[in-house]
Amino acid sequence: MSENLKDILSNLSTEIDQETLLLYLQDKLTSEKKHEVEKKLLENEFANDAAEGLQDFRNKEHLATLVDHLNRDLKKKLHNKRTQRTKIHLKEYPWLYFAVILIIVLIVISYFIIRRLLNNN
Amino acid sequence: MIADKHKHITDQQLLENFYSSQDNEWLGVLLQRYTLLLLGVCMKYLKNEEEARDAVQQIFLKAITELKKYRVEYFKSWIYMVAKNHCLMKLRDEHGKNPVELSERYLEAKDEAEDNSNLLQKDVTLDMMAEGLKELHPEQQQCVTLFYLEKKSYQEISGATGFTMMQVKSYIQNGKRNLRLLVEKKLKNKK
Repeated sequence: MSENLKDILSNLSTEIDQETLLLYLQDKLTSEKKHEVEKKLLENEFANDAAEGLQDFRNKEHLATLVDHLNRDLKKKLHNKRTQRTKIHLKEYPWLYFAVILIIVLIVISYFIIRRLLNNN
Repeated sequence: MIADKHKHITDQQLLENFYSSQDNEWLGVLLQRYTLLLLGVCMKYLKNEEEARDAVQQIFLKAITELKKYRVEYFKSWIYMVAKNHCLMKLRDEHGKNPVELSERYLEAKDEAEDNSNLLQKDVTLDMMAEGLKELHPEQQQCVTLFYLEKKSYQEISGATGFTMMQVKSYIQNGKRNLRLLVEKKLKNKK
């Protein structure tokens, strides 16, 4: 009894993983588990707000797919940012372009000189 | 939904990894942990599935930009505040409403958590809580007792009392807050 009373003011272990929250929203948890999730929700403002909002989705079975789409989109954005960053880095070093062009020109000139020398021989 | 290989890494560690390597992959892993919660928060405020989805994408973009500019210590609280501010700004733009200052509310919530743990450290508090429970409004007393002492779920309490799920939740939240105030008052009177 006293341990249960302590629960009312406790703030321990309020983390809820996304999978458990989804199962809770889809009404796929036992009463005991549901109670555990609800106890955590009362202590976790972020998750509590989220659960309230997620309850309003018409199709809760579709939530996991929706999250996957958002995650995939996020990965794409992060990948694009990385590519942009690489391009920006190249722009920051114009001498790098110059060096590459110079090396190519030197290789071409060397090729023609060697070819000419070989033809002369 | 989240890659298992990163589950053992804390938010703090993921942020540190990002700050030290500047590798966006760490940021991706971190943000993905909160996709469902962000979607829920945006839906709560915006009340529209499409808008909530768009808002999550915009919050991701904002987080990516901001996290590169400065160090964030407590990611979870930070991203929650970013999400709420984003939604409130969007509502203000749409309806001309003034956004609520969230940083102060956040600090209050933190203080309450600290106060609760202080209260629990005192043995005398348990007797006071039992007394206080009897002084709550009957609905609150009933719901708090069924939830915390008999470990029933909202659904079971709703079935047993005839209250709606929203009423049950509200009675528990308000009952809990009132009980805390009653215990504080009793402690003050004792001194």
